[in-house]
Amino acid sequence: MSETRATRTVVVTDPAGVHARTAVAIAETVRRGKSRVTLVKDQEPVAATDVLQILTMVTHQGETVTLEAVGPDAEAVLSALEPLFAGRFGDEAAKSV
Amino acid sequence: MDNEGFRIPRRFVARDAVVDEVERLDKAIAAAAGEIAHHRETVAAELGEKYGAIFEAHLQMLQDSRLRSELEEMIRQRHYSPEYAVSRTLRRYAQVFQRLESSYLSERASDIFDIEKRLLRHLLGRRREGIAHLTSPVLVLAHNLTPSETANLDRRFVRGFVTEIGGPGSHTAIVAEALEIPAVVGTGPFLTEVSGGDLVIIDGDKGLVILQPDEEALARYRHEAEELRTLAAKLEPLRDLPAETLDGVRVQLMGNIEFPYEVDHCVDRGADGVGLYRTEFLYLGAEIEPTEESHFQAYSRVVLAMNDKPVTIRTFDLGADKMPNIPHFDDERNPSLGLRSIRLALRSLPVFRTQLRAALRATALGNLQIMFPLICTLMELRQAKMVLADVMEDLQEHHVPFNRDVPVGMMVETPAAVIMIDHFVDEVDFLSIGTNDLIQYTLAVDRSNKEVVGLYNPADPAVLKLIAMSIAAADRKQVPINMCGQMSGSPLYTMLLLGMGLRRFSVTPSAIPEVKNICRKVTLTDCQAVAARVMTMENARDVKSYLKEEVKKRIQAIVPE
Repeated sequence: MSETRATRTVVVTDPAGVHARTAVAIAETVRRGKSRVTLVKDQEPVAATDVLQILTMVTHQGETVTLEAVGPDAEAVLSALEPLFAGRFGDEAAKSV
Repeated sequence: MDNEGFRIPRRFVARDAVVDEVERLDKAIAAAAGEIAHHRETVAAELGEKYGAIFEAHLQMLQDSRLRSELEEMIRQRHYSPEYAVSRTLRRYAQVFQRLESSYLSERASDIFDIEKRLLRHLLGRRREGIAHLTSPVLVLAHNLTPSETANLDRRFVRGFVTEIGGPGSHTAIVAEALEIPAVVGTGPFLTEVSGGDLVIIDGDKGLVILQPDEEALARYRHEAEELRTLAAKLEPLRDLPAETLDGVRVQLMGNIEFPYEVDHCVDRGADGVGLYRTEFLYLGAEIEPTEESHFQAYSRVVLAMNDKPVTIRTFDLGADKMPNIPHFDDERNPSLGLRSIRLALRSLPVFRTQLRAALRATALGNLQIMFPLICTLMELRQAKMVLADVMEDLQEHHVPFNRDVPVGMMVETPAAVIMIDHFVDEVDFLSIGTNDLIQYTLAVDRSNKEVVGLYNPADPAVLKLIAMSIAAADRKQVPINMCGQMSGSPLYTMLLLGMGLRRFSVTPSAIPEVKNICRKVTLTDCQAVAARVMTMENARDVKSYLKEEVKKRIQAIVPE
């Protein structure tokens, strides 16, 4: 299996910023995939599966976060993550959150 | 100490115990995770997935990999105990959220505290130390202490305490005084800044709490503590000398107490009696109304310990909310102006009578006086005396011994009582000025409200005039008048009060030596001149700075506020 690297910068449009539910959804989405994902805000990287760290980044609406994925499904994982920053959790995410 | 009363027993672990300690941490994390997962299932099943999600977030925060490695590093590198590491680290995270403006994320701080508590509970297991079961000296830092918690503090081990809420007149503050330990109450939020095991300095005189003090602060406070000990040692020989001015005026210097054991503090300092025996502790934190016997036990202990010296017992001075088994309205908007103290006693006669019966029985054992609090009107005083007479009759019928001539008096602590003082002096055997309430009601200020507490000042000329009126009226009728508020225990006011004609001071026992020291270093003529000057002043600040100067001139020691 090939390791690919993908990067994407997203603007948080969810009015509540990145809140607990978002953080949990991010962590679960990443765990379902096969890639390692890092979130970077203000040059500070945190593992996308560490909910406490994601919350501690304190991200408000309008701020940007860079997502970096390394793994076989890097692009797919990032595509699944992106809507979460807009507050769209979708059916599957909602079920587990 | 957190809300649930945890105490971190120790801060460091031995080098060779590190592996075991990390294992203990992992077990605690696993146990806490299992617990949260269980909650999630139950809550989700009962209330729906949406509510279970809160616990899912907790669970994931707890299992955060960086958190785990941070904790492990603290144990491995710094040899912190897992408890201390958990407390420090999670409080640091909580701070991040507490500093936020946005309410949504700032609420996460309470999630973090919840996780901290869970982990500590598992780490401490059965070794968890409750505030009532201490085994070594501690400082208690808490959001709030309930009356029963304060009443149950193990005084052998508590060396000081700080609470985030509460005011200087709160029960917590009174208990700190009883324990003779430094305390600061009503600091506002600070608990996230500190962890169990930290070094903390509590400066009760200045109302300061210093977290993780630097070397310089430590050295300064060690020095100050040493000086206080030296001062106490210097005043020690005064114990058996009378409180008497240089020109031979004898002053009665008595102690204020709440708990029976404090009578020993009075005896130790050579008090001339107990000028105020508060009885609230019997009710606070009790599940049921105290029995006549438990009142009697407490009172007789104090009366017997004081030998033939006078003991003034004050009937209960509480609101209905603090009394077991008395129905109360939840929506009392203004408790200090509400149904409390003598007003409540006259409305709850069985409770009042029980206390009076026990007090009367104790009059047979020594020199006991009975005093009613918060009297505003003559009617209240007469009613209270009628209840007392009724209880006396009852005792007599049953041939229970008591002193029929027990002196009966009242607190002078409302402006109404002072304004009507000429009438009151005809109907009492003694008076006692309660400055704490008198100041509060005269200046219309709530001491626990930080915005207005600046108005609360014993040196305010309005307060001083009321005190002068009370003393003058009592003197005209030869009725003994005492002062038992915090003002009487402050050396700053001793000269002024002597000069105003006060001859009976009742103070917190630890203040007895200092007040006595001042009495013995001044002449009455001198004090009268000071008082005359003060009574011409227009504001509290002038009064205070003048008094500071005058006292400093005569006493070469530290004069606290």
